[in-house]
Amino acid sequence: MGLVDATQAALLLLVSGDAELWGTVGVSLSVTLRAMLIAMPLGIAAGYLLATNDFPGRRLLIIVTQGLLASPTVVVGLILYLLLSRQGIFGELQLLFTQTAMVIGQVLIALPVLVAFSLSAIQGADPRARETALALGAGAPRIAWTLLLEVRFALMAAVCSAFGRIVSEIGCALMVGGNIAGVTRNMPTAIALETSKGDFAQGIALGIVLLLVALGINSAFAFFQGESRR
Amino acid sequence: MSLLVVRSLAKSLARRVLLAIDDLNLSAGKSYVLTGENGSGKSTLLRLLAGIEAPDGGSGCFEGRPFGWKPYPDWLRRQLTYVHQQPYLFHSSIADNIAYGLRARGVARGERERLVDDALSWARLRHLLDTPPARLSGGEKQRLALARAWVLRPKLLLLDEPTANLDADSRQQTIELLRTFGSSGTTAVIACHDRDVIELPDMQRLDLVGGRIVQ
Ligand SMILES: Nc1ncnc2c1ncn2[C@@H]1O[C@H](COP(=O)(O)OP(=O)(O)OP(=O)(O)O)[C@@H](O)[C@H]1O
Ligand SMILES: [Mg+2]
Repeated sequence: MGLVDATQAALLLLVSGDAELWGTVGVSLSVTLRAMLIAMPLGIAAGYLLATNDFPGRRLLIIVTQGLLASPTVVVGLILYLLLSRQGIFGELQLLFTQTAMVIGQVLIALPVLVAFSLSAIQGADPRARETALALGAGAPRIAWTLLLEVRFALMAAVCSAFGRIVSEIGCALMVGGNIAGVTRNMPTAIALETSKGDFAQGIALGIVLLLVALGINSAFAFFQGESRR
Repeated sequence: MSLLVVRSLAKSLARRVLLAIDDLNLSAGKSYVLTGENGSGKSTLLRLLAGIEAPDGGSGCFEGRPFGWKPYPDWLRRQLTYVHQQPYLFHSSIADNIAYGLRARGVARGERERLVDDALSWARLRHLLDTPPARLSGGEKQRLALARAWVLRPKLLLLDEPTANLDADSRQQTIELLRTFGSSGTTAVIACHDRDVIELPDMQRLDLVGGRIVQ
């Protein structure tokens, strides 16, 4: 099949509501959304605590977080694989090659992004915001909520950035998911493996969807970043 | 009757003494204008009193109830409020800004709405209700910050140069608000160089020289 034919077939898959194609898209989005739901509150809370508290080891934690931003996802996958494999310490949970394993992996990849970005978002807040809340009699929880609201656009940018990183990552999803059709096959693993098996149409169709998702997320990121600087 | 008594309030930074106040006594129902050269520590004193900055040491009594700064007590925080020289407005609506302190105090919704409504009239902000706070002029921002403080009926109001950076009209409107604020029973301490503020009725003068108060 030539490239033109394959592209035509891909477009047909897209418009005809191909079950396999949209199933793979569904796995991707469902895994990534669940990972974000877990990682968002954890990452933002950790960023807030790092930004507003001084404690021994804080500098080190920030440096480690910055370092983890650059961690290759395949290495995260490798470590998680070792932990979840039958001989690993979490082997009994039998999570390897499940969506849960993929969710855990994506949470681990998203966390440093969320922590680092929300840390800098909160550090970038006007110091008078906290002082004003304090002067008006707010307690610690209300002050925290107020500050997060004041930097909401920067936080949304952080969320978009984390989402973009995990929805398109392949290394970890492949290692701990295993590309099982209908279960753990997501867009990136399907594109890589189906194409290498010669199914160009699936690959191209998924590539188009993933590209659109990435474009959407990046536009949202740019929008929120712009808003946060106003 | 004294509202606030402060003893041995000290603050230094990098071995430089910013404030060393042996004794400060504010009477209930009076108002004070705090003067002093640039850098004499006016803002620092207000921020210490408001519990926004921590001093190196000091103790106090509010309405006869003793307190210290480590930690600054929550009950005292609810008796007073502080307004920045350039007020910070939350990125929400004008009404939400005014309601902020009421929410923090757990004031029920109906009562809150009534109080916010009063404050909008008091500060003559009603016609601006739909304007995002960030779009307000300097004078309107100052009025909103005053309304946000006034709605709490604080016993002590700490104001940092409320009329600096305002044009003549806004200045007059702000001074008018300060006059009515004072007559509502609130004790105010206003860092200020503005003649018209200094000459408001019942204003006592506190002069800061070299980190000390000359009363
Ligand atoms: N965080 C800080 N670090 C170093 N110095 C500071 C800090 N905060 C205040 N100062 C210094 O403390 C002194 C008092 O400052 P403060 O702002 O209280 O003065 P002020 O009387 O309000 O002055 P102004 O009339 O200019 O508003 C100044 O010399 C200032 O440089
Ligand atoms: Mg000052």
